[in-house]
Amino acid sequence: MPEAVLARARAGDAGAQELIYTAVAPATLTLIRRFVGGGAICEDLFQDTMVTLYERLAQFRGEAPLGAWLRQIAISKCLMYLRSPWRRARLCLAALDHDSSAAAIPLATAPGCAEAIDVERALAHLAPTARAVVWLYEVEGYSHEEIARSFGRSVSFSKSQLARAHVRLRAWFAPPGTESHAQRIRP
Amino acid sequence: MHNESDPEHEVARALAALPADDARPYDWPEFQRRRAHAARGRRAAGAGVFAAAAVCAVAAVAVLVRLDHHAEVRAVTAAARGTAERPPPREAAAAAGAAAAERWLASLPREPAVVRVGTRADVLGLEDRIAQVDDLLTADDAGRGQGAAVLVLQRERARLVSSLVQVRYAETLANESR
Repeated sequence: MPEAVLARARAGDAGAQELIYTAVAPATLTLIRRFVGGGAICEDLFQDTMVTLYERLAQFRGEAPLGAWLRQIAISKCLMYLRSPWRRARLCLAALDHDSSAAAIPLATAPGCAEAIDVERALAHLAPTARAVVWLYEVEGYSHEEIARSFGRSVSFSKSQLARAHVRLRAWFAPPGTESHAQRIRP
Repeated sequence: MHNESDPEHEVARALAALPADDARPYDWPEFQRRRAHAARGRRAAGAGVFAAAAVCAVAAVAVLVRLDHHAEVRAVTAAARGTAERPPPREAAAAAGAAAAERWLASLPREPAVVRVGTRADVLGLEDRIAQVDDLLTADDAGRGQGAAVLVLQRERARLVSSLVQVRYAETLANESR
């Protein structure tokens, strides 16, 4: 993102802010969707993240790419949501309707990307916390210690969540007819 | 990053291969509309919280004032009743109780907003009798100094003041309950 655009956006120029929005919004929404699934909460977190971006733009020093900076804001918002007591209270209801909630999560829509769709579907069948742990570990490069700190839990929590998520995800990738593949339909 | 549950990094590769920006967010005008809507909501919520806090503060002050007032009235009533129902250990105690009762009486409005005729007559009668006792006490003090008659008069005065306090207290409660 050119520094001139950032400077104009910091000064409140709506055109520059729109340019930034157009550039970073799709990746931000994709990240949040993979963390928390789809639906209204995904849009709420996305909106909150983008609003925070413009509120804190004056603090952005350009030491890292804007996308990476915004990614940290989005992850922070998602973790706050996942840690919230309100969401934990809803987990019981979600567990009762797990399959339907997972199916409601929108999948990757890139044309000709069947593998990505399958991975998205596999991610969607993970519990939100397990999905966040596996994403933080495998994609964002967090250590178990960092994940444990993020969730306010122990390192064992992070390791066990990751191991269980791996088992479930690998079951999705296993060829049909194998024992691993059969685990896809087991609770 | 080595992990025992994914030794071939199969999961890591699959996740890393996912497209990074395949979601379709709403457009800029919609974002701005939602941002403005949220800002209005925050302002309204802030005003609501402020109003609720103000109402709570006023209610708390009213309760505190009422409690304080009732405590004061109870203390004065108790002091007056104590001086009237049992012989004071010393005249000073009786005089202090009567003085406290009179201070409280002085703090009340001279004419309550609404006064029943019977109550008003009682108040006036009590005040007249207190004035008569005061006259006798003054004359007695000036004439013969301290004595048994003075003590009787002082007890009678304390009893009258106690009765007056109870009537005015009843008036006050009746006014506040309206």
